Amino acid sequence: MNEPAVAACPHCGTIVEGGGYCCTGCEMAAAIIQGAGLDRYYQTREKPAARPGKGRTDWSQVPVTEAEGGRTTCELAVDGLDCAACVWVVERVLETVPGVERANVSYATGRARLAWNRNRTNLPALCAKVEALGFRPRPLTAAPQRDHSLLLRLGVAAFVAMNVMLLAVSLYAGWFAGMEEAYVTLFRWTSLALATPVATWAAWPFYRGAWNGLRARVLHMDLPVSLGVVVMYAHGVWATLSGHEAYLDSLTMLVALLLGGRVLEQGGRRRAVEAALALASSAPRSARRVTGTTVETVRADELRPGDLLEVGMGEELAADGVIAEGRGAVRMALVTGEAEPRAVAPGDRVVAGALLEDGALRVRVERAGADTLVERLAAGLASAADRPTLPALTDRVAPWFTAATLVLATVGGLAWLVLAGAPAALQVTVAILVVACPCALALASPLAVAAGLGAAARRGLLLRSGDTLRVLARVDTVVLDKTGTLTAGEPVVVEADDAVLRIASGLERQSVHPIARAVVAEAARRRIPLPLAEDVREEAGVGIRGRVDGRAWRLVRGRPGEIALWGEDGHVGAIRLRDVLRPDAAEAVKELRGLGVEVVLLSGDHAEVATRIGAEAGVVEVVAETGPAAKAEWIAARRAEGRTVLFVGDGINDGPALAGADVGVAMGSGAASSLLVADGVVAVDGLKPVAAGLRAGRVVERTVRGNVLRSLVYNTSAVGLALAGIVNPLVAALLMPASSALVIGGALRVDAGVARS
Amino acid sequence: MSAVFFLLPVALGLGGVFVLLFLRAAQKGQFDDLDDPPRRVLEDD
Repeated sequence: MNEPAVAACPHCGTIVEGGGYCCTGCEMAAAIIQGAGLDRYYQTREKPAARPGKGRTDWSQVPVTEAEGGRTTCELAVDGLDCAACVWVVERVLETVPGVERANVSYATGRARLAWNRNRTNLPALCAKVEALGFRPRPLTAAPQRDHSLLLRLGVAAFVAMNVMLLAVSLYAGWFAGMEEAYVTLFRWTSLALATPVATWAAWPFYRGAWNGLRARVLHMDLPVSLGVVVMYAHGVWATLSGHEAYLDSLTMLVALLLGGRVLEQGGRRRAVEAALALASSAPRSARRVTGTTVETVRADELRPGDLLEVGMGEELAADGVIAEGRGAVRMALVTGEAEPRAVAPGDRVVAGALLEDGALRVRVERAGADTLVERLAAGLASAADRPTLPALTDRVAPWFTAATLVLATVGGLAWLVLAGAPAALQVTVAILVVACPCALALASPLAVAAGLGAAARRGLLLRSGDTLRVLARVDTVVLDKTGTLTAGEPVVVEADDAVLRIASGLERQSVHPIARAVVAEAARRRIPLPLAEDVREEAGVGIRGRVDGRAWRLVRGRPGEIALWGEDGHVGAIRLRDVLRPDAAEAVKELRGLGVEVVLLSGDHAEVATRIGAEAGVVEVVAETGPAAKAEWIAARRAEGRTVLFVGDGINDGPALAGADVGVAMGSGAASSLLVADGVVAVDGLKPVAAGLRAGRVVERTVRGNVLRSLVYNTSAVGLALAGIVNPLVAALLMPASSALVIGGALRVDAGVARS
Repeated sequence: MSAVFFLLPVALGLGGVFVLLFLRAAQKGQFDDLDDPPRRVLEDD
């Protein structure tokens, strides 16, 4: 009997009788790889690929970040990346798809960063391609659940307001022209019935805000608003029962307008938060759990406190915990913003998302899943989208406003009680409380802020909160990082020896620094296989060291524009790189200086390079050779002088500076971790959004001040009229929308103001 | 004129139907992204 011929499936390595592919999936995967001219994958991979299978993720539901011109970006996790060749083949295959602009896969973190033109391809197609190769893409943490309740309340309130107003117009007309009693009664009762859900359900956010404020012993804008609404509704019930005119039309209109302001404001902030989350959220990864003597791989969300995890070099931690065994160097930039890896030993605490750069650990889980620090940070970011911000100006006015209203209502009521008796006194008191209801004042800030956030977003700057806009208005010093901010952040290798490049690319392949990317990219372009490096240790701001081919190497900054490779016997060679200025950098700097702010270039690079780049961009003040900590110190010193500092940077190195500045803005193309500490994100490729943000801040600040003044003038004069006993429901119905219209008009001009200034 | 007694509830009921449709649409996320769809309409391919 003949032994049947056996051969391994060329793709997945499964032994197959008679040779050839084991399945059509492998055959197709190989066809894709060979069709793209990537056969080298099969020679360089360290172990056979997994058999391709269909994933279960509905990729059309996964959020992506969309920018101008059809450019769409998404970050996702990819499982099954066992070696550099896998990374290489995924990147190259994706790049052959028409419409894909960039496919960066990080071997260290298992994350893929994709950029494509949404007119030419889409995420499901790209993920299907990755799955066809035998790798498993996973979405990162899903975007926060949207809270639609404000919009629902607005819909009901707006519907009711329009109908009640229609009925009110009829009633007012009947007042002058005469109307049969039966119709008057019908219209009044219908108005009350319609206004009831508005005064109770739709106005609920204001009651809740007022109550929360009272409990926290803060009088904020929701309190006088709630007071006005409650008084109007109570008066409405009494008036309908006793056959008087009610303020129900004013009530419903007011609630609808205020909810409209809230919805606009919420929308503006949510867009920024979701953009930041989509870029920065940390994925629940898999982890290796140790049970007795066995080690099993489990999903991170299956972990429980008390579990023991095994963590290897280059792996991210899946949970917060305490080190039980082992030593190593851990980079916790995601959480602390610290660039330098920290040496850890048993007993030290480590957090989920931290990257083990060196060593091997066993970690006892303390908090897992949604309880981890990084998940709570992300959740805080998500919930910030639904929390209304109350900018300082209206907040400062609110307590005085409330107090003044109550005092005036009491004094006015008492005066009328003495002069004209109880019924008239009640009417005047109600009228004062009604017209004092600060509808315009409450709208003054949110509308302008929402318009400002929208204006900044349309120009490419996504801000996390309206408060940031207000701080931007005061900024007088703009500090720019060099690499990745003033420059495109993608230096290009212009000169290097193949052998040097090979070692360098091995050392740099786990690093996310732009220089590392350039080195690895150049090596791949020359088809130099990335060698395996061991004991790789990154020294932030200095260089990187490690072992390749069993020998020790060091890659450090050499002469300007060069990195030098040192071997065991000394200097081996150099790689020359060139950093190119962003196309719009000079124009953006000119624009910033035109706004009267001081522009400073803070760079960790050599003085010669920094000065050259600074001169090209038109920056006068250049501070070179500042490390990550020195940047933060420099900013702190400026703030101590009373300056308001805006820092624009990218990358892990900038974490402390981003957090330390009055406003920290991260470049969207930078390291994901920086986005968690930043107040804003530049979502497009360029620097001009920063200048647009400053302009938006100033216009908004001016508009809010104007709006507050206008509404205070209105409220003061309206209360005067009410004290004089002139205000009745018809007068209120004319006065209140007029004041709100003034404020809304101011907000509508914000975008035009940003465009003009 | 007494038709008002009949027509007013009918009109409000009709309006109410549209409010319900709006609530449903809002809950399904129809109004979540108001920026990109109008831009996409203008793109050819």
